[in-house]
Amino acid sequence: MKLRASALLTALLAGSLALTACGGGRGATETETTSSGASQSASQDAGGSEGFAADATIGVALPWLGTQNWMEAQTLFEQQLTEAGFKPLIQAADNKVPQQQQQIEAMIEQGAKVIVVGPIDGTQLGSVLGSAKDAGVTVIGYDRLIQNTDAVSGIVQFGSIRTGELQGQALLDGLAAEKGEPPYNIELFGGGPADPNAPDFFKGAMNVLQPKIDDGTLVVKSGQMDFTQAATQDWDNARAQARMDTLMSNYSGDEIDGVLSPNDGIARAIITSVKQAGQASVPVLTGLDAENESIVWIAKGDQYSTVGKPTELLVGKTVEIIKSLQAGQGMPEPDATANNGTIDVGLYQLDPVVITKANAKEVLANDAARLKLFEDNLS
Amino acid sequence: MRTLKQILGGNLQQYTMVLALIALIAVFHFTTDGRMLTPSNLQNLIAGNAYVLVLAIGMVMVIVVGHIDLSVGSVAGFVGMATAISASQYNFPWWAALLVGLLIGIIVGCWHGFWLAKMGIPGFITTLAGMMIFRGLVIWVSQSISKPVPSEFQIFGAGYLPEWGPAFTGMNNSTLLLGILALAWFVYAEVHRRQAALKRGVQSPLWVMLVRLGLMAIVIGTVTWLFGSGRPGTSFPIPGVILVVLVIIYHVITQRTRFGRHIYAVGGNRAAAALSGVNTNKIYFLVMANMSFLAAIAGILFVGRATAAGPSDGTMWELDAIAAVFIGGAAVSGGIGTVVGSMIGGLVMAVLNNGLMLMGVGADQTQVIKGLVLLAAVAFDVRNKNAGRPSLIGNLLRRKDATAPGKAEPEAALKA
Amino acid sequence: MAERMPLLEMQQITKVFPGVRALDDVTMQVHRGRIHAICGENGAGKSTLMKVLSGVYPHGTYEGRILFDGEEMHFTDIKSSEEKGIVIIHQELALIPELSITENIFLGSEVMRGVLIDWDQARWRAMDLLARVGLDVDPDTPVKQLGVGQQQLVEIAKALSKNVRLLILDEPTSALNEEDSANLLEIMRGLRARGITQIMISHKLGEIAEVSDSVTVIRDGKTVADYEVEEGHVDEDRIIRAMVGRPLDNRYPDWEPRIGNVLFEVEHWNTEHPTVPGRLVVKDASFHVREGEVVGFAGLMGAGRTELARSLFGRSYGNYLSGTMRIAGEPIRATTVSQAIDAGLAYVPEDRKTLGLNLLDDIKGTIVAANLQAITRHGLLQPEQEVDVAERFRKELRIKTASVDVGVATLSGGNQQKVVLAKWMYPEPRVLILDEPTRGIDVGAKFEIYKLIHALAEQGKAVIVISSELPEILGVCDRIYTICEGRITGDIAAKDADQETLMRRMTTTSSTEPAVPAPTA
Repeated sequence: MKLRASALLTALLAGSLALTACGGGRGATETETTSSGASQSASQDAGGSEGFAADATIGVALPWLGTQNWMEAQTLFEQQLTEAGFKPLIQAADNKVPQQQQQIEAMIEQGAKVIVVGPIDGTQLGSVLGSAKDAGVTVIGYDRLIQNTDAVSGIVQFGSIRTGELQGQALLDGLAAEKGEPPYNIELFGGGPADPNAPDFFKGAMNVLQPKIDDGTLVVKSGQMDFTQAATQDWDNARAQARMDTLMSNYSGDEIDGVLSPNDGIARAIITSVKQAGQASVPVLTGLDAENESIVWIAKGDQYSTVGKPTELLVGKTVEIIKSLQAGQGMPEPDATANNGTIDVGLYQLDPVVITKANAKEVLANDAARLKLFEDNLS
Repeated sequence: MRTLKQILGGNLQQYTMVLALIALIAVFHFTTDGRMLTPSNLQNLIAGNAYVLVLAIGMVMVIVVGHIDLSVGSVAGFVGMATAISASQYNFPWWAALLVGLLIGIIVGCWHGFWLAKMGIPGFITTLAGMMIFRGLVIWVSQSISKPVPSEFQIFGAGYLPEWGPAFTGMNNSTLLLGILALAWFVYAEVHRRQAALKRGVQSPLWVMLVRLGLMAIVIGTVTWLFGSGRPGTSFPIPGVILVVLVIIYHVITQRTRFGRHIYAVGGNRAAAALSGVNTNKIYFLVMANMSFLAAIAGILFVGRATAAGPSDGTMWELDAIAAVFIGGAAVSGGIGTVVGSMIGGLVMAVLNNGLMLMGVGADQTQVIKGLVLLAAVAFDVRNKNAGRPSLIGNLLRRKDATAPGKAEPEAALKA
Repeated sequence: MAERMPLLEMQQITKVFPGVRALDDVTMQVHRGRIHAICGENGAGKSTLMKVLSGVYPHGTYEGRILFDGEEMHFTDIKSSEEKGIVIIHQELALIPELSITENIFLGSEVMRGVLIDWDQARWRAMDLLARVGLDVDPDTPVKQLGVGQQQLVEIAKALSKNVRLLILDEPTSALNEEDSANLLEIMRGLRARGITQIMISHKLGEIAEVSDSVTVIRDGKTVADYEVEEGHVDEDRIIRAMVGRPLDNRYPDWEPRIGNVLFEVEHWNTEHPTVPGRLVVKDASFHVREGEVVGFAGLMGAGRTELARSLFGRSYGNYLSGTMRIAGEPIRATTVSQAIDAGLAYVPEDRKTLGLNLLDDIKGTIVAANLQAITRHGLLQPEQEVDVAERFRKELRIKTASVDVGVATLSGGNQQKVVLAKWMYPEPRVLILDEPTRGIDVGAKFEIYKLIHALAEQGKAVIVISSELPEILGVCDRIYTICEGRITGDIAAKDADQETLMRRMTTTSSTEPAVPAPTA
């Protein structure tokens, strides 16, 4: 209780002192200073046009490894960056924002030339990415939009609205194919509101579904058609299942024909809920990510569709951009731009693919593992 | 050894954690090829962990008084969100939003204090409820959507001291000034202490003081240089300045005021404290109120750094703060723990986190290592504790000792 | 033939704890169908004897023989003595408040049908048992809803459920009010009529006189008297003499009091038990202490001495009902401890470890703990002053320690007590209440504490000493109040008092005061 603060501090500092013979100093960071000046002048297509060493360190900050797609991203980045001759530095943050902030800082510290950021919350990295930019590091957003900062040079992602549209279309096609004549009873689910893509998925899907709701083809019995009503906090499957359990009370004398689900985990949770409620026929479900488990469910006929966002395409595109930066050619021309709250950021958009039982074999032709999974479980 | 003792002035065992921290810094500095002790990394280290350390200041007081606060993360998240919303949705000026945040912190603290002190609900339950209530409120008021905060807040979370004055110093002159002030204060305190010692006839050789001051000068000089010599525009970070000010204030409160004494008295033996004229319920109330106030500050520091308040801000922060306090030598049963010790504990965790990231170790393995370090540090500390300062584990060990002779004479134990 | 043989014989029981001979060659007999009383001062060895009997101290840890029904017993634990029908009801009741009466009665010996508890059967049997102890309540009632007296009856019912042959009641009325006590004694008589032999441990002579058939008196671990009595004709003097009859030696310093005006006055003080509404722990207490006077409060444990002291000290115990307190003629209203301290009161609690000290603190921190404002300047504590104060007391009280920075946990009992005394001397109180100031410390340290008490009185303070040790009270105090069952039953100058008079007043309330034995009624 009576530790003497000053004495403690002395000891602490005395110790660190012994190690600081190799400490930094303004002189030591001189080179960074110049490169940061350069990047500031280059502003939008940051990273400078002079390029950097072919074996430079490339940082990749991923939100977590709790789902298959992020796990794959980690493996693919490791592979493709190493093949391209770079030194990959890949870290995942366990879905904790402060952790990710510190990881990005550590990457800057380790001299990364480019940092690829798959943000946990795209709005909460402002000051950290600011210091990346000051240190002359090019920041590329991966899979999700990065907001409220001018320090991001581009975003590589699957078009979120497009993804939503594909999901909506898959739902309509499935209903027509499996549920006979309209009207069809459906319910809507959204993703985690903290993920900037989630509202876009929903918006895209509604672009397709809203006209059909208006003309009476589709009926949302619960009436919950706003994103905030349909959203699933943290993309949490359990919450989605709990919500579906509640919604099923509307279908005591009736059957639910289809559900718009933003991803595969939630889709499976919904199917489970419907089965537990005692409905014999499985509703038409959409999904996202082509998770292994959902491939199995599609093969068995439990889940109607999923949307594959092949991670290798996304990683491939990102690495392509990094190569271009390395060669001194700057950022390639973006497909579109989006306002992130501070600046207009270039978007590099890829098209996702719908997978159903009918087309799975051809879509998965290049993905041996999933193809085998699909064929093994085909009923 | 005796000389070393004279210079450091106290029981060497008290420095266990400090030595561990230094060893940790040394190991990482070499394994990361010198990336540990660089201006920018140290700046990041302080700015990125200030919020946990601020929480640990309040948490050590809560733990000393014999309770625990599980709500701090949720409260920090709620305050951050409330601040962001009052600025972005209700267009409050930034300073008004800041005041709203601090005020909410105090009100939340009074709420916890009321249930704990007036209604007698244990702190664990009170704050477990608070954890749910305020996490729910964050999501409710934000609709789970992140809200930006005014750019002024970035100063608190990620700002630097201004640049001014001559360039020949080769460093940020604000940081230099802070270093000089700190050194001046240490010189004053040392001279004052030696005079007091001499006045009461205690031996206090001049050379000891000079060596201490010399060491101090080198240390402060180096730290000042490390923080001040980074990229132009950087300095000792503002969240660090806020943290240091808070540490000084709370160190004085806990060690040098009657309120501080009462906290230790209530935590050490509540009944004895009550019979010594301490209003134990008032102490409980104030400690809980203070904790949420500090949580509010932590929340504001964090949103300042993140530039936006998110719905899951603060998740698990309470556990980081609690870990820091226990690594810093506090006892689970209350009555033992210091603000400075908790800061050391928090820094051990922060350095560990930072060093492992610099080494490129993943978050999964980092978690495992941090858990093991928590266990090892507390176990090590417990074994080094003085006989008169038992901790929870110390008590268990001692009880075992007491019953050992009772095995030969079982009635002795029964009689006791 | 078995009728003449005693139910229980304990022969030459000797029980040694390290350094203490708790029981020394104790022999006693309990005959069938009798109520046998065991009396003795606190610490005389009554409880140890009962623990030997009930198997808490198993066979082999003591010397001597226990014969029950003529057979030698080798109890290994409580369970084995219960199997023989020996059941002990402790002072602190062992019921589980949240469970119902039925559940409590059959706890550990549940009425089973197969693998399930037969609750119907259990309830019927519980009702029978309750009827036998005269308790008319629903057996499903949770025990916490019962009063202490009723709980005691449930305990007895529980004992009866075990086919008790020898029922041991350890201070059965210590927690009861008069009405419940009378009721309990009645039940005991009823059980005797049904042939249940009972041992009652008590130091309330009135009760012993009322119900017992034979008495064993134990003092310092030895049997000093063992005889039969005729109901209602107990010779209390004989018991009292036996209980206290030890020589008074010179363990107390000489001193010449210089007694001044009345400094501390308490009138008609009443305090209610904190959790048992309606039970008064202090009943209409009035007393006074003069400047420079050392006043003793003599009473057995649980008599209300500590309760009175703590109630006066900022109402830190129980619920204050009525009464006034004056210091030097000025009325004092102290509703919190800190107000009491400000008014000039100090209370040194009886239990150092749980009430007197923060064992985590060091010596200097403890000494200043009750008077922090004295070392505060500009809102900050002054460490130099703290050390000065602690050093001063270390010298004055001769606290044996290397440094005042040392933790109090490392000190011996005597030195800890000195530190606690220093803590309460530092606020410069005018009235000091010392509760069992010498408990658990060695003879040498006791002598120093006595001198300290006199030194405080010489400074003109009013000093109150609470103690269960009569020789100590007689040796240290100028005047003595006796307390029995929350009532002040006597006010005697120490020079006129002896242990027997004190013991009589400590064991008889004023209402039964004339019960000084009427030999020929």
